[in-house]
Amino acid sequence: MSQPEGPKDNAVVMTGIAKSFGGVAALEHVDFSVRKGEIHALLGGNGAGKSTVLKMLSGVHKPDKGEIWINGVKLEEHTPEAARRLGIAMIFQEMSLIPSLSVAQNIFLTREPKGAMGLLDDGAALKEARVLLEKIGVDLDPRRRVDSLSSGQRQLTEIAKALSQQASVLIMDEPTSTLSSAEIDHMFGFLDRLKKSHASIIYVSHRMEEIRRISDRVTVIRNGRNVMTKAVAETTLEAIVEEIVGRRVGAFERQARTTKPGAEVLRCVNLTAKPRPIEASLTVRAGEIVGIAGLMGSGRTSLAKSMFGLQPIASGEIRLKDKVVKISTPPEAIEAGIAMIPEDRLTQGLVLQHSVADNMTLPVIDRNSKFGFVDEAKEKALVAQYIKQLRVKTASPQKAVRTLSGGNAQKVVLAKWLATDPLLLILDEPTAGVDIGSKTEIVEIVREFADRGRGVLVISSEPAELLALSDRILLMAGGRVAREISSVEIEAWAANSTDTAHRISLMETGLQVAIQEANS
Amino acid sequence: MNAKSEVINEKSETFISRLKQDWRQYVIYAGFVVIFIFFSITLGEKGFLDPNNLLNIVRQTAMIAIMAVGMTFVLSAGEIDLSVGAVAGMTSVTTALAISKFGLIGGICGGLLTGIVVGMVNGLLATRVGIPSFLVTLAMMGIARGSAMWVSNTAAIPILDKNYYFTFGSGNIGPVPVLLIWALIAAVIGHIVLRKTSFGRKMLATGGSETAARFTGIKTHNIKMQVLIISSITAAFAGMLYAGRLRSGRFQLGEGDELSVIAAAVLGGTSLFGGFGSVVGSIMGALMIGLINNGLILMGLEFSQQLIARGVIILLAVTVARSRK
Repeated sequence: MSQPEGPKDNAVVMTGIAKSFGGVAALEHVDFSVRKGEIHALLGGNGAGKSTVLKMLSGVHKPDKGEIWINGVKLEEHTPEAARRLGIAMIFQEMSLIPSLSVAQNIFLTREPKGAMGLLDDGAALKEARVLLEKIGVDLDPRRRVDSLSSGQRQLTEIAKALSQQASVLIMDEPTSTLSSAEIDHMFGFLDRLKKSHASIIYVSHRMEEIRRISDRVTVIRNGRNVMTKAVAETTLEAIVEEIVGRRVGAFERQARTTKPGAEVLRCVNLTAKPRPIEASLTVRAGEIVGIAGLMGSGRTSLAKSMFGLQPIASGEIRLKDKVVKISTPPEAIEAGIAMIPEDRLTQGLVLQHSVADNMTLPVIDRNSKFGFVDEAKEKALVAQYIKQLRVKTASPQKAVRTLSGGNAQKVVLAKWLATDPLLLILDEPTAGVDIGSKTEIVEIVREFADRGRGVLVISSEPAELLALSDRILLMAGGRVAREISSVEIEAWAANSTDTAHRISLMETGLQVAIQEANS
Repeated sequence: MNAKSEVINEKSETFISRLKQDWRQYVIYAGFVVIFIFFSITLGEKGFLDPNNLLNIVRQTAMIAIMAVGMTFVLSAGEIDLSVGAVAGMTSVTTALAISKFGLIGGICGGLLTGIVVGMVNGLLATRVGIPSFLVTLAMMGIARGSAMWVSNTAAIPILDKNYYFTFGSGNIGPVPVLLIWALIAAVIGHIVLRKTSFGRKMLATGGSETAARFTGIKTHNIKMQVLIISSITAAFAGMLYAGRLRSGRFQLGEGDELSVIAAAVLGGTSLFGGFGSVVGSIMGALMIGLINNGLILMGLEFSQQLIARGVIILLAVTVARSRK
């Protein structure tokens, strides 16, 4: 059998790939090919099918339809081992390295050179690692322990490990999100050299700037189909974003808020924090919902954490209702009237094996206690009220939260913080991993909360969600508020259209482009 | 009317579904009954059911039960305390010494103070310095036992104060041993604190997920510090009872108790990994261990055989409680 289509110099050819999970189509029809010695960017919004494509290629999932060819050989057995044998390597962000072992030990883990009597020969491993690192031009002492390396050096170690296993196609998912700009320059120089030695790189990133800088071609996946493949030089940022966004169907609508913003609830002045450098000034008024947009690592979450006392504030001040408040621990933040829905519901938001009721009442447990004794009647009433008000679907309040769906679990987190009756509610990725029905409900709940004259800050990676919720949007980049987008400006993006779906697409494109511009 | 039926529904549903879900937590009670019946039949003629024998079981397990209350708190909060047995031994010595120097009140204060000080040291090292409680209390185990040997010159220190040894260990009120009363008091207070107070709830949340608890505004360090102090106080109190029962302070007292105490708590449904705890279960666990010890002795097993049988029974009980999870 020979390769079906395209020239022989293709490293990867995927044709007519389709895949559904439990009756829901994740991929409908994807054709994707990567040439030898090319850096190919793969783009798409959340849930577009990008990661499913990569999982097919690395053998994690078996396609329902279609064929995968790697370096001219058809992938018959769909396992990670088989894909690896043909030369595919997925570069995880430091996850597959063992921190307590050295670079050399990590590179040769499970394939260690053996000496006499089958014992490990660390000396030989060290020599081989040196040769390998030198060959690929990485300046790194193979004796160093991985936990003493920077994120950039760890990724280079990962890549060296993959190359030592004869990998010829590297898949990199957001490799720069934890790197400093000097490290990024170094990494790009390295990838460029790698490319010249005929390795292929599939590069996934949300940073359009980087993609334009490093990649040769770009493919956009939307709704389970490949909608565009072009040489980067022949396209523009706007054209790419438009393809990613597409025509939105069934997304949230942007609704005009009727509540007029009142007095100032929050004012942060030159807030700086450690260890992630942020410097931010912002205000939120009563009844106002302010969105914060930005890429991963832009300082959005750091800002929220410092305001909630989870990260030390270095300088600057926080004013709530015109009163300066000192916040260095979460209890102080709660006392001052701040509540925060954290970005990771499973580890930060909930005690998973405890009941819905116990989780909901935890932040207000002292308020509901007299002389240390919990007023159970009061708690029961509170739990019943919120289960009803937020329509939490649970068999009973005593059910463990881990048995709930993502959307219902997130409602429990919301309930727990609404119960503290805060002045300011900070939401970090409030609808991540939540089904579309619950998403709409959560948006509604947040709006109602703001309508009662409270302030809301929403951090989100999903432009549609920010646009649906926010009165205005702050763009963060490099730890600073780069610019503010007013309601008027958002509406202006969609001024040319009256069709709802089209308007949403236009706004999303406008916001995405603005985010990319702030980062370039 | 609608609302009323809803409430009833909810109640019956939670009761049944809870029983279905959590029957493993109640295995300890069934196991206790089974073992009790087994010994009653096989050892009835050897005096197992004799009221004196039954009260003896209580006397022998009261200290383990009291320490198990503290251990339930510590485990619920996701920590562990290996120093309880050694602290009990040390406290028996400090109490005996304090009684001989300062009298009854001085002795009681000295004993309790020993527990508070050790607990604070454990707590500070575990929370402020950040050493895992396993290591802190492992080290403390040696320090406490060693100090007790040193201070007492490895000799027993007699307690001559009648009021002391009557109240703390040797006395009976009517037919009821004071040890039983102390154990009951510890159990009732412990149960209420764990189930009915905000402190108890925070303890469980800290053990269930420290990150989530911290993000919810719980001062998790304080909670851990407090449970370690409480555990040391229960250990010190158990040591005072040992001293009262034997009318002397001896450094050997409480040796190996940490394992029985942890076993009692785990048998009773408290999680070694935090987040779940039951004081009543721990007390039952302690009684079950006492019951097994007593039965095995009456059966005439040698000490070596007793150790093996006890180990196997504990493994069986924990396996049943964990299987099919």
